[in-house]
Amino acid sequence: MPKDVPVDPRGPRFSAWITSAVLAAVLLTGSWRLLAAQAVLFGLCAFISLKLNPWGHLYRYAVQPRVKPTAEREEPAPLRFAQGVGFVFALVGTIGYATGLTALGVVATSAALAAALLNAAVGLCLGCEVFLLLRRRVPSLARPQ
Amino acid sequence: MSAGAWAVVAAVAVTAVVAVLLRWREGRVRVGGSSGPELPEAVRAALDPGAAVTLVQLSTTFCAPCRHTRVLLSDLAGRVAGLRHVELDVTNQPEVATRLGVLRTPTTLALDASGAEVLRVGGVPKRDVLLEALRPHLPHTNG
Repeated sequence: MPKDVPVDPRGPRFSAWITSAVLAAVLLTGSWRLLAAQAVLFGLCAFISLKLNPWGHLYRYAVQPRVKPTAEREEPAPLRFAQGVGFVFALVGTIGYATGLTALGVVATSAALAAALLNAAVGLCLGCEVFLLLRRRVPSLARPQ
Repeated sequence: MSAGAWAVVAAVAVTAVVAVLLRWREGRVRVGGSSGPELPEAVRAALDPGAAVTLVQLSTTFCAPCRHTRVLLSDLAGRVAGLRHVELDVTNQPEVATRLGVLRTPTTLALDASGAEVLRVGGVPKRDVLLEALRPHLPHTNG
């Protein structure tokens, strides 16, 4: 896995606002294609690198220069895990919408939306919390020192 | 409204409820908890037997509220007689947090000289509320 560097924690929250908007648009339109695109984005971030997140670049070029610098950094591993959780929900939702199991699509997408909104509005990253709990029990997830 | 629109409303409502609950819990003083029959060795070692109350702050790396808590508590300990503040990084010793029943950082345990838990606070403590709760356990001088 490529190395990700610690990130400015406001970046993921900025991304989460855009993700929330995308997921809300999916729920309002029922478009499996839009949800599939979001699933691809989640997958790229989770399985390849957080650097592939276009909203992260938008944050760095458009937002970060305008806000106060911060020394605060966030560990990338929990973020990537959380993107992976988002990927699973988006994938299940896409399958639901695309195969006519609309209820499945709505449930999976609204769960992902609630998680994205919590991250954006409250700063609580559910996937990250799950990762941290898992890391206590699975030593191989521990940060290499 | 379509099912999708209702789902959006529901997701927003869930987020709002969780936000309110988290804000309510943040920095709240909880009394009556127990750190268990035996303190983990790392915590026992951090305890200052000469202080009436030691604030043991459990922290992790990459934890912004931990830094805010450290500033607040070390300042408080500097001003209040009988109060000490120590920070314990549990990033690489999660078993300490597990044994204390701590799920988030920062969590601050207030322990008396014998190591018994007086109270605990999850998140950044509220200075006045914390001091008020600690007062009965501190020598009656200032604060």
